[in-house]
Amino acid sequence: MGQSIPFGQHIARPPISARVVAGARVESVPWPIWCMVAGIVSGMIGGPWDISWHMSIGRDTFWTPAHILIQLTGVLVGIACAYMILTATFGHDAATQDASVKIWGFRGPLGAFIAVWGCIAMLTSAPFDNWWHNAYGLDVKILSPPHTLLSLGSLAIKIGLMALLAALMSRATESVRRTLGFLLLYIGASCVAQMGTILTSSTWPTEMHQAACYLAVAIAIPAVLIAPAWGSQWKWGCTGVAGIYTIILLTFEWVLPLFPAEPKLGPVYQHITHLVPLHFPLLIIVPAIVLDLLWRKTSEWGRWKLAAVTGPVFVLSFWAAQWPFADFLMTPAARNRVFGMGYFAYFDPATILYDPYQLNASEPRAVFARLMAMALVFSVITARLGFAWGDWMRRMKR
Amino acid sequence: MTIGLGRYMRRRTFGSIAIALLAAVSVGAHVGSPDVFFEGDAGPYHLFVTVRVPQVIPGIAEIEVRSASNDVDKIEIVPMRLSGAGSNFPPTPDVAERSKQDAQFFTGSLWLMESGALKVRVSAEGTKGKGELAVPVPAFAQRTLPMERSLSGLLGFLMVFLAVGLVFIAGAAAREGNLEPGETPPYARKRRARIVMALTAVIVVGILYLGKAWWGEEASNYKRGVSFFKPPEAETKLANGNRLVIQAQGQDPEWSKRVNMEDVIPDHNHLMHLFLISAPGMERMWHLHPEREDSKFVDDLPDMPAGHYEIFADVVDKAGFPWTLVGQVDLPQIHGNPMVGDDSSWTGTALTAQSGDVSVAQLADGGRIVWEKGSGPLVANTAMVFKFRVEDKDGNPAKDMQQYMGMAGHAEFVSSDMSVFAHIHPAGSASMAALELANGAPKGTCGITEQCVMPAGMTMPMPAPVSAEVSFPYGFPKVGEYRIFVQVKRAGQVETGVFDARVQ
Repeated sequence: MGQSIPFGQHIARPPISARVVAGARVESVPWPIWCMVAGIVSGMIGGPWDISWHMSIGRDTFWTPAHILIQLTGVLVGIACAYMILTATFGHDAATQDASVKIWGFRGPLGAFIAVWGCIAMLTSAPFDNWWHNAYGLDVKILSPPHTLLSLGSLAIKIGLMALLAALMSRATESVRRTLGFLLLYIGASCVAQMGTILTSSTWPTEMHQAACYLAVAIAIPAVLIAPAWGSQWKWGCTGVAGIYTIILLTFEWVLPLFPAEPKLGPVYQHITHLVPLHFPLLIIVPAIVLDLLWRKTSEWGRWKLAAVTGPVFVLSFWAAQWPFADFLMTPAARNRVFGMGYFAYFDPATILYDPYQLNASEPRAVFARLMAMALVFSVITARLGFAWGDWMRRMKR
Repeated sequence: MTIGLGRYMRRRTFGSIAIALLAAVSVGAHVGSPDVFFEGDAGPYHLFVTVRVPQVIPGIAEIEVRSASNDVDKIEIVPMRLSGAGSNFPPTPDVAERSKQDAQFFTGSLWLMESGALKVRVSAEGTKGKGELAVPVPAFAQRTLPMERSLSGLLGFLMVFLAVGLVFIAGAAAREGNLEPGETPPYARKRRARIVMALTAVIVVGILYLGKAWWGEEASNYKRGVSFFKPPEAETKLANGNRLVIQAQGQDPEWSKRVNMEDVIPDHNHLMHLFLISAPGMERMWHLHPEREDSKFVDDLPDMPAGHYEIFADVVDKAGFPWTLVGQVDLPQIHGNPMVGDDSSWTGTALTAQSGDVSVAQLADGGRIVWEKGSGPLVANTAMVFKFRVEDKDGNPAKDMQQYMGMAGHAEFVSSDMSVFAHIHPAGSASMAALELANGAPKGTCGITEQCVMPAGMTMPMPAPVSAEVSFPYGFPKVGEYRIFVQVKRAGQVETGVFDARVQ
């Protein structure tokens, strides 16, 4: 393809079947994919680091290391997607153009368009968040409208990359397919970690005997757990996603406290000498293993029937594991570096310390039953969404 | 109040951490005058401190420190709670930057993360060693910020772009996403894509609607926080001809649940300092001290002519947060009791636009109070020290000055439209009760929580002689006409000198 072709000139194309075989076959992982993965790894490190920064030091600027890592996500993903879209739109590689979709005159892989949408959403959130701080004060909480837009953008980047990986897997050689499959599970795990972070308030250890905790998990987790697992078509897909999620969170919980830190904002309620991490990861690994085992005999079922079983099995197995684990987290045995129950943010008021290890059990029994029933219903819907998303990725070609 | 408030305003985040139009600016400490001005000693160094309180919380406070001497090398500043939990662990202090033009002037910025009664601890270091003082700071959100048209336009465009983009991405996914490379989408797929786009558009609109509702809810919560700290209303009732009953009514329903008038603490000897100022001309002023009866305050008024009066009533809650109750009352001719104790009054000419600056106030015994104003104009938002000299009838410095409620004098700065009211002391704009919580009770006085009972065998210390010069650190918050009431005590009599000022 070295010759120069004027822009807009008609290119005589060979028959479709020949082009698919010759041009679209994927024999190595393209560099834009690695670039996007690097961006997501960067954000994955920057996110928990930033939260820990806010819990330990407080004061930040646009240029803290954690913020730079988060911003690098947009930069790296933007470069990769711009390359893919511009080469498909203005380049002369017929195979690249054939494996693309068309939006507003531009051509490119569908996943690249989704990821670009995510980048623009993240960019949009910046001036929105800045105004929000000026209007309502610095929001020291995870869920605010601008933060949600940022999170949506970040999630769209991951969804886009998973779509790209799935499309490449459909025409990849076996060895490349394995690499792409692993990357799919890793990106899925980063989605689970992101949703888990959003749920932090509802899934705080003291809230784990509340049905609201299980309702929140049933709404947010099944789709992002099931979709990459189902899309990867690996028999331990769910376990892989949940395992990677667990390893990532444990790494942060164990590594962050190794770095010294002290509060630079007041009032200070807790004496801080090092970075404070978030808590021990949710035991999503348990329902993940159960689902992988379940699907060995049920994967051929109709999707609604499969979702009707998968959702409740997810919720109930998670409940069976997390509920007693919450009891353990309240004991002195969990107040160590492994389980991390001895950490407090500098702004945790002293009132929390009067009894920070008391499980909240304020839901009346009827409310508890109603919320758990809602969790089961939602789990069916979100599991069905996960299967639909996974099937979509299985069919993805472009 | 403040711990609860902090949670009300901030809410917990991250689990255990997890907290339109330019709203009328009103404040708890005073009225319309949110910044804090303070003059005091940090060990061997005499400092003037100004805290420019942020308009949103959490937000950045600007701190200005001026040293009276040139022997201060370093100033450190740090925010803390005024009392209780959080008042013992300071974060890493910030070093204030020394001005290149003025070596005795230091500036810095501090994040105030919570609403309520806070303090800024100032540490000075220099050739005489180290010293420290704490300035009480009532921190609260004062306003909401409108979105500029340019930003509104940009965000609106991006919102539409993202919404439409999502619809088209969904369409492309349905039309071509799972087609073999190179294959042209058949009509059925194109039709399906249009249906998917329509459904996506509905979903996107739904998401935008929910987002708007959420934003509205957040803005509403914030506005409630702003309302919470607006000056409570002083609801008044006149009983038995001259008994004024005052009840505080917050501007937010939560206020009465969180601020208990039965828990207010004494501020220089009194639970409430009530100012009745005739409106609109301020030609009469009463400074009275009602007593508390349950959650109400009552005062048996002295003789007063019928008229319309503005009410400003200062109280300090148990956490050290100062509140000024505001209201208006139309009083009939009052035939009351003679004034006793620390109560005082003044009658004179009205403040008008033609009044001009008045810097000498004549006193009844032929003496006078002179405002050492200087020749420069008075400029809004500039910290100043207002110095007044009390002279006897012969023009000599008054030798019969006494402490008036524990200090050399009191001053009330009131704007002609009554939108600014500030009750200032020689130590500044902070209430004395809050100062005591921040720094401990000064030697030889009774603390808030202490009983004023001397141990057996000891006698009350003699009060220090009071200088004929009294000064007040303060800064006018806005341009306009102001009346300044300066009150001192001489030979057992409270004297009030009144000055008018035009602020540019």
